Amino acid sequence: MDEWKPNPAVKPHKKRSWYLAWKYKLMNQRALRKLCQTGAVLFLLVTVIVNIKLILDTRRAAYEEEEESAQDYDDEMLNVAVPRHPVNNKKVLDVEVYSSRSKVYVAVDGTTVLEDEAREQGRGIHVIVLNQATGHVMAKRVFDTYSPHEDEAMVLFLNMVARGRILIFTIKDEGSFHLKDTAKNVLKSLGSQVAPFLSWRDMWTFVGKKGGEVYGEKHAKSPALSTWGDPVLLKTEVHLTSVEDAECHWPDTELNRRRKRFCSKVEGYGSVCSCKDPTPIEFNPDPLKDNKVFDVPVAVIAGNRPNYLYRMLRSLLSAQGVNPQMITVFIDGYYEEPMDVVELFGLSGIQHTPISIKNARVSQHYKASLTATFNLFPDAKFAVVLEEDLDISVDFFSFLSQSIHLLEEDESLYCISAWNDQGYEHTAEDPSLLYRVETMPGLGWVLRKNLYKDELEPKWPTPEKLWDWDMWMRMPEQRKGRECIIPDISRSYHFGIVGLNMNGYFHEAYFKKHKFNTVPNVQLKNVESLRKDAYETEILRLLGEAEVLDHSKNPCEDSFVPDTEGKVYVVFIRMEQEADFTTWTQLAKCLHIWDLDVRGNHKGLWRLFRKKNHFLVVGVPASPYSSKKPSSVTPIYMEPPAKEEGAVAVPAVAAAEQT
Amino acid sequence: NGAAFSKVRGSQSGQDSTRWHVVRKFLGLISSHNIPVYLIDPLILGLVDKDIEQIRSSPDGPSPQCKYFCAPRDFTTFALLDKTWKHEVGLFRTAEKMGFQWLKIINKDPRLDGMDDLSGMEIPLHYIFKLASHAIHLVVFYERSGNYLWHGPLRLKQHMDRKFVPFRKLHFGRYPGAYEKPELLHVSIDDLKVQIPKNPSSFLEEISHSRFLECRYREARAFFQLYPDDASLDAVEFRKKAKSLLHLAALTLNNLGVKFWLSSGTCLGWYRQCNVIPHSKDVDLGIFIRDYKAEIIPAFQKAGLPLKHKFGKVEDSLELSFQGEDDVKLDIFFFYEEDDHIWNGGTQAKSGKKFKYLFPKFTLCWTEFVELKVHVPCETLQYVEANYGPGWKVPVKAWDWKSSPSNVQNNGVWPVDEWDDVIQIY
Repeated sequence: MDEWKPNPAVKPHKKRSWYLAWKYKLMNQRALRKLCQTGAVLFLLVTVIVNIKLILDTRRAAYEEEEESAQDYDDEMLNVAVPRHPVNNKKVLDVEVYSSRSKVYVAVDGTTVLEDEAREQGRGIHVIVLNQATGHVMAKRVFDTYSPHEDEAMVLFLNMVARGRILIFTIKDEGSFHLKDTAKNVLKSLGSQVAPFLSWRDMWTFVGKKGGEVYGEKHAKSPALSTWGDPVLLKTEVHLTSVEDAECHWPDTELNRRRKRFCSKVEGYGSVCSCKDPTPIEFNPDPLKDNKVFDVPVAVIAGNRPNYLYRMLRSLLSAQGVNPQMITVFIDGYYEEPMDVVELFGLSGIQHTPISIKNARVSQHYKASLTATFNLFPDAKFAVVLEEDLDISVDFFSFLSQSIHLLEEDESLYCISAWNDQGYEHTAEDPSLLYRVETMPGLGWVLRKNLYKDELEPKWPTPEKLWDWDMWMRMPEQRKGRECIIPDISRSYHFGIVGLNMNGYFHEAYFKKHKFNTVPNVQLKNVESLRKDAYETEILRLLGEAEVLDHSKNPCEDSFVPDTEGKVYVVFIRMEQEADFTTWTQLAKCLHIWDLDVRGNHKGLWRLFRKKNHFLVVGVPASPYSSKKPSSVTPIYMEPPAKEEGAVAVPAVAAAEQT
Repeated sequence: NGAAFSKVRGSQSGQDSTRWHVVRKFLGLISSHNIPVYLIDPLILGLVDKDIEQIRSSPDGPSPQCKYFCAPRDFTTFALLDKTWKHEVGLFRTAEKMGFQWLKIINKDPRLDGMDDLSGMEIPLHYIFKLASHAIHLVVFYERSGNYLWHGPLRLKQHMDRKFVPFRKLHFGRYPGAYEKPELLHVSIDDLKVQIPKNPSSFLEEISHSRFLECRYREARAFFQLYPDDASLDAVEFRKKAKSLLHLAALTLNNLGVKFWLSSGTCLGWYRQCNVIPHSKDVDLGIFIRDYKAEIIPAFQKAGLPLKHKFGKVEDSLELSFQGEDDVKLDIFFFYEEDDHIWNGGTQAKSGKKFKYLFPKFTLCWTEFVELKVHVPCETLQYVEANYGPGWKVPVKAWDWKSSPSNVQNNGVWPVDEWDDVIQIY
């Protein structure tokens, strides 16, 4: 958020403002042209000696009340001569908004609060919210409404902005392609006359008060599909209200003071700043009985996505058994707004000067955050690692409390993760069931201190390596054959879309349909059977009771699995050696689960649910469980599709980017 | 209980009873907010220590007279463990209502200082609550890596009231301090229920040697800018081994009650780069010869570190070397104090030549190194410069302990008939 304070001694624009007023009258009141001209010339002379603020007020009055503008001028002119200082505290902001194909900017009283001329980014509608009393920038967003669903995000955002705030809009490049009617209507309701007709590659700027007057709008139509509208520059003025008018009057409590500080600074958080019925910022969820993770520090890794962080912290603080004192939010960069969110919830936050670039930067941020966590909580044996784009299940801490002793006692474990890569709506069923997997899912996980201190921290990839921390952690040199414990139904939900590692399509395809537990106090079953040897016994028992499916059928077909519930089925697929995932990948693809790389396997075995039946997949002959295959059964082989251009490269890249 | 006691107190002067009243009010304030504090005031603990048996045996007994909290002084000092309270603002509002004026000293969080470019919120280090002519100094203790408690220095910022209390008379805050986690005892002193360290005399002893030095993280970062850290697998492995060897050595010596400090290359590593120097190949410790105990050798052997060599004797140039895991060795040099300098000795096994390494006098401070609370010479720069010369900032890989140190002197040759005793190699 830019620190910006209005400059009360506004001088440089007086000529222009006068000109605008004059021009306005020329257009609208031709009959009064002469009178105006005279008045204007007089006015120009008088400006040298009178207070500029009052003159601007005067012009505003003229602007608002078209009919009597000339008279108003005169009345005000009479008043003007009397007081050297204005009779009220009203201030005026000069606002300039520029929209074009390759550049947008917004200047308030000569201070640039937005400037984006970077190539290949910042496309769409930029929105800035100003505090109507102070002129502070409270929010700055860009919605790439060329792409689908971004208009919905914009509507959501605009709905959350409090009445009375000043909204500034400008388009860079293209902002209409996926700007649907709902969004256009919202813009129209804000007073835009152009929004309903915005079309392909039009340039557009708009300044208005939410639920109030319009300060200006400019539009340039694109003449042809292949070209953009001409750049538009809107210069207008905005009148500030008093601070009291811009604030809510909540009872004076410690919590409300935090709320007030937050709400006067930032925008776009909806009901938390509602005057009438603000949403709570303290949640007091039920404590957990015998909470084994009460003293485990929680590190929240954040970047500059304060709205995500807000959503994340709400869910975290609502989870049963949470201990807010153990939470530290690590912000990658000197961003103010994420810190405001942290302070709103009364948590502690730490900012991290960015070093290195892109993925390496994230990786360095992780390292610094983990080291700091164990410094701040020297007694801790574990740390819970979360990211700002996760929802946390209500029984997240209950899940960890029941399983954390395994991580302490079983050396063959690498982590406990709240996320099941293969736990989709149609493939996850049992909230009390846990698995052991050879992959490290991340997305809400527990790290053992000695693993970090003795193994990971000393050889953490240095900035110049440009590695993803999670890809690095998954490498055999680090994982050393150890496994993670995961739940069948995830205890976290990855809602992040915008950011370094994700694009919208990608999120839709791989994350949206993930199952997320909403049941509180789930009693996990057979936790002890997750230990190294016990798990083998458990798997052999399962395979022993499993019914072998008809291998002559197509495993992709729904009918492959009988219409039963609660049964255990097994299918054998071809897997020549440990790293042969050809058939598995094809099967994963047709089952619509994670297929970009191999996840969720345990010794060539995958466990999931189909039609509410436990569905086991064994890779033959690589898996040690191959011995359970009846000799009559031929493992299923599925051929990868013929290579199309780019078809292989895309998943590879996407896989590398998945967090 | 106040009524009976106030009669007795009536005989005390007004000043004396003011102190008692202020302490009582303060204890009321913090107990109303459920904040557990304990008494660390050196003066009162000194008085308490004299009667400790009696106080221990009757933790709730009434006091015949105001013996402790009425003693003349400007402050009463209490400690607060940071993690035991939630920084509620309500405390200060209640304090104000009770008539206290208060001052909060905040500063950077040292636990983040060693971290590249992290900036956390500043943390409270000291509070002072003033009422009438008496003041309560509340020192905030933080747990740090190495299983110890740390308190910060008291430094006034520009806008602060320098005359709020006579700051110079405070017992805590001139330097940062490091302490063991104390065992606490609930007692009743002068009819006030307080917590005190279970063993006041050892706590008082601890106070006198509590000064803490933070590692020079900024300089260390600058060093690594000039000389990028060795991140090879060998270096990582060596550091890991050196760290665990140091932890084992510290455990062994602490159990024996033998005071030691980081010396030579290990000390240089701490001072220059806040880490183990990966090419140093050993861990070096110093011990004053007056602290020598015969149990040292068996204790290390029991800990799984066989004696590798023993040079010199207790009277002259003693030096022990133990074999750690995979070629990492632990060298212990014994230091001999003279009037104007301190020295330790060296011996060349094949020739029987003796060497002497001279250091200016130094005292010991606590620091944190590889998650361990250890001693280093407080006057570290002089110590390091004596050993490595003014060029200590530049890494040197080829180091000859007989000629490279700038403080080495030839010290003759061991008489041949003593060789069996003073040159023992295993």
